[in-house]
Amino acid sequence: MRPLLTINRVLLIAALLILLGYFMVYIVYTVNLMHFPFDYDQGEGFELVDTILFSQGQFPYRNTDVYPFYSSNYPPLFHVIAAPFVWIFGDAYWYGRMLGALGTILTASMIGCVVWREGRRRDLALLSALAFLASNTIYHIAPLFRQHMTMVLFETFAVVLLAGANEITDARRRRTVIALALLTIIAAGYTKQLAVFTAAAALIFLFIRQPRRALIAGVTFALVGGAIFLWLIWATDGEWWRQAIRANVNLINYDQTVGLFRLWWNLHGFLIVPAALLVLYELYFARLSIFSVWFIASLGQGALSGTWGGGDSYFATSIAALCILSGIFAARTVNHAWHFPENYVSRRLILPFRRAAPAIASMGLILIPIVYIGYGRAVLHMPTEGAVFETIANVLNIQPNALNGFYDSATRIVGGYADIGHLTTQSDIDAGWRIVELIRQSEQPVLSEEAGFSLQARRDVITNPTQLLNLSLNGMYNGDNLIAMIENREFGAVILRAQFYPVDVLQAVALHYEQRETIYMNGFNYLILRPRS
Amino acid sequence: MNIFSKSFTLTKRALGVLLTLSGVIGFAAILAVDLLDMGREGGIGPAQRIALGLCAALTLLGLTLIPLGKAEA
Repeated sequence: MRPLLTINRVLLIAALLILLGYFMVYIVYTVNLMHFPFDYDQGEGFELVDTILFSQGQFPYRNTDVYPFYSSNYPPLFHVIAAPFVWIFGDAYWYGRMLGALGTILTASMIGCVVWREGRRRDLALLSALAFLASNTIYHIAPLFRQHMTMVLFETFAVVLLAGANEITDARRRRTVIALALLTIIAAGYTKQLAVFTAAAALIFLFIRQPRRALIAGVTFALVGGAIFLWLIWATDGEWWRQAIRANVNLINYDQTVGLFRLWWNLHGFLIVPAALLVLYELYFARLSIFSVWFIASLGQGALSGTWGGGDSYFATSIAALCILSGIFAARTVNHAWHFPENYVSRRLILPFRRAAPAIASMGLILIPIVYIGYGRAVLHMPTEGAVFETIANVLNIQPNALNGFYDSATRIVGGYADIGHLTTQSDIDAGWRIVELIRQSEQPVLSEEAGFSLQARRDVITNPTQLLNLSLNGMYNGDNLIAMIENREFGAVILRAQFYPVDVLQAVALHYEQRETIYMNGFNYLILRPRS
Repeated sequence: MNIFSKSFTLTKRALGVLLTLSGVIGFAAILAVDLLDMGREGGIGPAQRIALGLCAALTLLGLTLIPLGKAEA
C-alpha cells in the first residue's frame, strides 16, 4: 500500500503543478488584457457603453430608430455592479475585465470549498478549483468585460447554498438560506438570461426533495422575478421586452451546436466521465444532489450554443458543475467512501466484483491523479513567446497555432469557438490609437463597428451592430434613419470589422462609402471607409 | 399520500414514473410536430432526431428507476 500512496502523491503533485501552470497563464492573460484599452472581444465596448449609461442613471434599452441608434440586449445587473467604477475611474475596460477575472476565481474557490466539504481532501479540492480555471473556455472568457462569468458566479453561489438547505433543521434558517439562494438565481438571470436553466435545476431539486417547499419557493421566485421584469418593461417604455427578450430569439445552427458539444467533450472528457458516473451513482444508489441536477440542466445552455451570438461560453456553467462532480467522485474514490445499497442494479453490476473491490480501490489512487494530468494535457493553452513561456514551449516542442504566438488545443476546431486567449502586443495598442486618431480628425460623426474607438475619441457611440442584426433577424428593425444618414454621407468615416450590421445597412455603406485604408489590430483587419466622392 | 405534506419526498419509483411519462409525452410531441404541421417539408430533421433519442433515453432511464421502489430520490 505504501508504494501506491507514494505514487499517488507524486502524481497528485504533478497534476497540481500542471494546473497551477495554467493558473499562471490565466493571471498573465488577465493583466495583459487589463492594459489593453480597446475591444479585445467584439462586444466588450458595448458592455462598457451599457455600464456608462447605467452610471448616468439611464437604461441601455432604447429605440434603435432614433440617433444614435443604440440599444442593448443584455440584462442589467453586471453593468449596474460595474457602474460605480465609471464614477471613480471614468470610461475604461480594465475594471470590467478585473471583475470578470476575480469573479471567476471566486467561482473556482466555491468549487474547491464544495469538494473539500464533501471529501475533506485539500489536494483534490485545489485540483477541482484549478481545473475550472484551466478550462480553455473559462480561461479565455473570464478576464473580459462581459457578463457571462458573473452569471456563472451567481449560479454557483446559489447552487452551493441550496446543496445543504433541505437538511437544515432550524426552519427559519432553512427558509432564509433557500430565499437567499433563489434571490441569487434571480441575480444570475438579470445578469444573463441563460441562468433560466439553473433556475429550473434549483426548482426541480427542491421538488424532488419536498414538492411543498418547491411550490412555495417557485411561486415566490416567480412573483419577485416577474415583478422586476414588469418594472423593467414599464421603466423602459417596453424596450426591455423588445430589445432584451424578443430580439434575443434566434435560430440555432445545428452544426455549431453539435461541434461545440464535441469540443466540450474533447477538452473536458477526462472530468465529464467521473462527473457522469457520480450522477449515475446518485440516480441508482443514493439521493440526487443539486450538483447532478444542475449538471444535467446546464447542458440545456450548451444546446443553445449554436444560436447567433452563442458560442463555447454557453458551456461555462456545465464546466463549473462537472468540476464539482468530478472532484467529489475523486474524493470518494481516494477515501474509499463508496457505498452500494442492495438493489437489482447492485446485485447485477456491483456485487459480482466485490472481491476485486480492494484492488479497484487501490487502482483509484493511481487513476484519479492521472485523470487530472490527462485533463491538463487536453486543455493545453499557453503563450509560446516571452521569457518563461518560450523556454517551456521549446522544451515541450509546442508550436503556436493562434494569434500573437499562442497555442490553444481548442483553436479553430469548430465554429463558435471564440478566437481569443492570446496576449495583445504594443503594436495592437498602437494600431488602436491610429484608428482613434482617424475618428478625432473627422469633423462629422463616425460609424464604428466597435464602441471602444469612439469612446477613446470622446465621440458618440453610434449603433450596436449586433443588436441591429438581432432586431433585423426577428423582423423588428426599421433602419430608415440610419440608412438615410449613410446615404447623405453624414458620417465622416465608417469603420468595419466583422460586418455584423443588417444587410440593408451594409448595402448602403457599400454604395456610398469606399475603402481607403486597412488597419490590422489584434488579429483583425479594420476597414476604414470614407464617403465616395 | 399527500404530495404537499411536509414529510413527503419523491421516491425513486415516483421519479421513474415522472421521467417515463416525460419521455413518452416528449417523444409523442416531437412526432406530432411533423404529423400536424402538414405544410412542412423534409420530414424529421437532425435536431428532432436527437430530441427523439433523448426522449427515448429518458423513458428508459425512468423505467429502470421504477423497480428501485421506495428509496428516496
